[in-house]
Amino acid sequence: MPAPSKNNLYLGLFTLSFALILLTVWIPMDTQTGLIEKVRRQVTIGDALAPTVAGLFLIVGGLLLILTERNAPGQSTSSMSGLIFASAAIFIIAASLIVMRWTGPLAVWMVNALQGGDLEYRLLRDNAPWKYLGFLLGGTMMISGLVGLVEGQLRLRAILIAVAAVIAMIFVYDVPFDDLLLPPNGDV
Amino acid sequence: MGTLDYIWMGILSVFQGPELFSILGLPVSVTLVMIFAGFLIGIAVGATPGLAGPIAMAIALPILISVFGYTPDALLPVLGFLIGVMKGATIGGAVPAILFNTPGTPDAFMTTLDGYPMTQRGKAKKALRVAHFSSASGDTFSDIVLFVCAPFLALLVEAYLDLPEKTALLILSLSFIATVIGGSPAKGLISTGLGLLAVFIGTGEDFYPRLSMDSQTLSRGFPISTAILGVLIIGAVLKELQDLWFQKRTSGTVPRQRDEGDQRLHWADIRRLLPFIGRSAVIGTVIGALPGIGSTLAATLGYTVGRSRYAKLKRPDAPDFGKGAAEGIAATEAANSSVSGANLIPVLSLGIPGNAAAVFLILAAESIGGFNPGPSVFRFTADEVNPELVVAFGLFTAMMIANLLNWTIGGVFMRSMGVMVRIPKHILLPSVLLLTLTAIYVQETRMEAIWFTLGFGVLGYLMRTLNISPLPFVIAFILGSKLEDSARQAFAATGGDPWFLFTHPIAAAFMAASVGIILYSARRKTPTL
Amino acid sequence: MKHLIKSGIAALGVALMATGALASDWTPPGPIKLMIAFRAGGGADTQARLIAEELENRMGWKFIPEQVTGKGGLNMANALKSQPNDGTAIGLAVTETFGYNMAAANAGMSPEDFTGLTTTAGFQMGVVAPASKGWNSFDDMIAAAKSGQSIRFGVMSPKLADLAYLLGKSQGVEFNIVSVKGGKAVLNGVNAGDIDIGFMAGIQAKGVAAGDLVNLASGLSTPLIQTPDAPTLADLGVNFNANGYFVFVGPAGMPAEARDALSKAISDVVSDENTKAGGLIKRAFGGAATISGEALSKLMASEFASSGTLMEAASE
Repeated sequence: MPAPSKNNLYLGLFTLSFALILLTVWIPMDTQTGLIEKVRRQVTIGDALAPTVAGLFLIVGGLLLILTERNAPGQSTSSMSGLIFASAAIFIIAASLIVMRWTGPLAVWMVNALQGGDLEYRLLRDNAPWKYLGFLLGGTMMISGLVGLVEGQLRLRAILIAVAAVIAMIFVYDVPFDDLLLPPNGDV
Repeated sequence: MGTLDYIWMGILSVFQGPELFSILGLPVSVTLVMIFAGFLIGIAVGATPGLAGPIAMAIALPILISVFGYTPDALLPVLGFLIGVMKGATIGGAVPAILFNTPGTPDAFMTTLDGYPMTQRGKAKKALRVAHFSSASGDTFSDIVLFVCAPFLALLVEAYLDLPEKTALLILSLSFIATVIGGSPAKGLISTGLGLLAVFIGTGEDFYPRLSMDSQTLSRGFPISTAILGVLIIGAVLKELQDLWFQKRTSGTVPRQRDEGDQRLHWADIRRLLPFIGRSAVIGTVIGALPGIGSTLAATLGYTVGRSRYAKLKRPDAPDFGKGAAEGIAATEAANSSVSGANLIPVLSLGIPGNAAAVFLILAAESIGGFNPGPSVFRFTADEVNPELVVAFGLFTAMMIANLLNWTIGGVFMRSMGVMVRIPKHILLPSVLLLTLTAIYVQETRMEAIWFTLGFGVLGYLMRTLNISPLPFVIAFILGSKLEDSARQAFAATGGDPWFLFTHPIAAAFMAASVGIILYSARRKTPTL
Repeated sequence: MKHLIKSGIAALGVALMATGALASDWTPPGPIKLMIAFRAGGGADTQARLIAEELENRMGWKFIPEQVTGKGGLNMANALKSQPNDGTAIGLAVTETFGYNMAAANAGMSPEDFTGLTTTAGFQMGVVAPASKGWNSFDDMIAAAKSGQSIRFGVMSPKLADLAYLLGKSQGVEFNIVSVKGGKAVLNGVNAGDIDIGFMAGIQAKGVAAGDLVNLASGLSTPLIQTPDAPTLADLGVNFNANGYFVFVGPAGMPAEARDALSKAISDVVSDENTKAGGLIKRAFGGAATISGEALSKLMASEFASSGTLMEAASE
């Protein structure tokens, strides 16, 4: 019989320490009204009580994990490679989102630099083709990047599929609707 | 306005809504079309491995809201569509399970046990027919129970439960959900605690947004859709992509089976299957009515009960459970399909969601406004019309229509969905990810919402990696603000009685039950599903 | 010095040009972001969306509505404050947001950070009880309270909680003040029997007309349109009132032509009872109330300044 995994123990300890920080530091420092407070001569429930209850759920959960489920079967087998995959995937997604956010404004800035003029992306955010630039580039990057990550190589096919998928999404969310904004056009 | 008037108005609201087109002079309301579309899409989505009903619901919601607007008129078409998806996905999930031994939805896992062996024996069509018949029967049964129970339960709640009792009931539901979902009470409690904490950030009664660390970004709190879609969908997509990455795509060709012999479902078959369907439908309905226990448990229980029954009765030459017994498919499908209707009992009578599909119905109702699932829906006001009650009966009508579709065209459509399994998951999932993020942006229109969703997605991924069920998190997120509001109100309404949860008998009983559930599950040595 | 004079002249020139330009000439340089401080689907949200829809039809402007809810409108105010002030970002809230709430939050915001465009409608704020309680007047309710019945008073904002408290104090009874989220929640609570009476800002109109609800008192400085006989808060010995309006605002320093064009366009829509928005306002609030320009700035500033007195009175 293999030695039981220690994962539940670690998870329990982590949960307990997080909950303790929550209850002793975060909640007292970051709420303005205590567990209860007195306004208009009446005692009312303050803003700190509800998160404290959440913290208690974490404490009870953490304790149970350590005391009764430490050796429970079916614990996860965490692996280094899983972590690597997750970090890579999240990096691809985050990078694509940044590209999505800034492609449009950057394009406008470049047009201004080349041709003069004082276009503003904010005012163009509802005009084609400007409004599609960021979504198209960032979206393509996200899909093809993830497909490439799983396949272990970036093939032209993945990029073409990604472009097709993003264009399909533009046709689903933007073309038929007047009042929907694709990312990032609501922020600018 | 009597009860019958309300029921009649509900039925009319579905058929007479805005007219989309007419067939032979008969006007076809937009709600009907939406139920129909949702049902077909649901079957297709359920039949596609890697997709599931909630994903389709998440992606469709902003589109639907944009089409129909934020008016009460939008409720029935949108909710009708979601109900269609919910029902379609339930039967669709059996298709890849039976044909290719890959469950399209988690609930369909038990279906593979007997469905795939039947396919291997050349009885694929028959297996699909059995699955469809059982699923449709279980579903219809469960809906009828819902129609009868929800209004009465709601009236009872309104008549007997005051603010302290309502607070205690929410605490009881949360404790129950935390300890029962997912097999580990400890992890369920952690999941619940995290969900509560997340919803309490940036909210609160005071003008300072609590726990926001003075940041502008957190001060508005997390939009409900970012938490739900992040944890449920982005988390699942990341986890599945990782699994695919591990497998490195051992892409063999899908073996094809030929159908042999008689594929029809005879009256004799049905008579043989009915006891199994009936038993499983009751099991699924009872389990569905309890918030938080999913259809997977119902399927497992239905299958297990069916197996022990079958072992005593079967003819010696008939295949065993697990070796291709039609009864096995029937027991599983009837059980998991009868969960969906009954699951709406706590939603409509208490406002407490029990599974992912119910979560999305609440999300839709919250986004559109004008319909707050909960006991106040069932106020049978006499003088003026209670529009929420009309919507509720409209929903019931929509469910009945979806059932009718299920019985008539569901089987044919379902049997044609075998092709969906050929869509490669590793291309589909990244597209689903971008679709989900886009769907959120379209509703929230700020990049912060996308970053929140990604953050919740990572949380959902970690939870799945650590075998923590994400469903308690989501349900706690939905119920958290309700719990806080009702506790504040109960406290104020009782004139600041700190023991309000214990001085009212019903509330005290609920509290005792919640403590009891936690203690009981903590003492139990081997947690079951 | 020379530089200063020069820039002074330049500024004067800009100001003259700005006032000289006709409001009708103004068109927004891009789509207008409309931030709504109310939950989707409620009456206030519907009002905002209907107004935007009508303006799109009439003026050809393009609106992009967006929900920014929470903290009594302060979340919306906070988000709007840093938006460009060229008329491409406006918001709908209530005057209370810029008065009591901004003063109470003490979060470094004041009405000065905003350009008031126009109000659309005034609240018909009443103290409402369900008819099933059997109280026909405010005095009946007070009598019940004095005979030992505990009364739960539902409110939807801290300012109203203060008023409810002062109302109890002046009448010599102590209400159990229950805060809920939004006017719809007060109505639901009263209907479900969870609370006994509550402040409602117009949502009670249908129920009062049908006889299910009773306006016991007016929360305003004036009598209610629907129930003119109900006493006002002043009649009941409270020197404060819940007068308030729905108000459109933009970020501070909006050019005059943008401000005038926007406020005129909006008030034209809400004052026209034949539009969907105007019809809605007529039904729920008895008609439009459009205060704009200097009068609105004054109103917002004075509410902000006077909120301190109410808070002090209510904490005594």
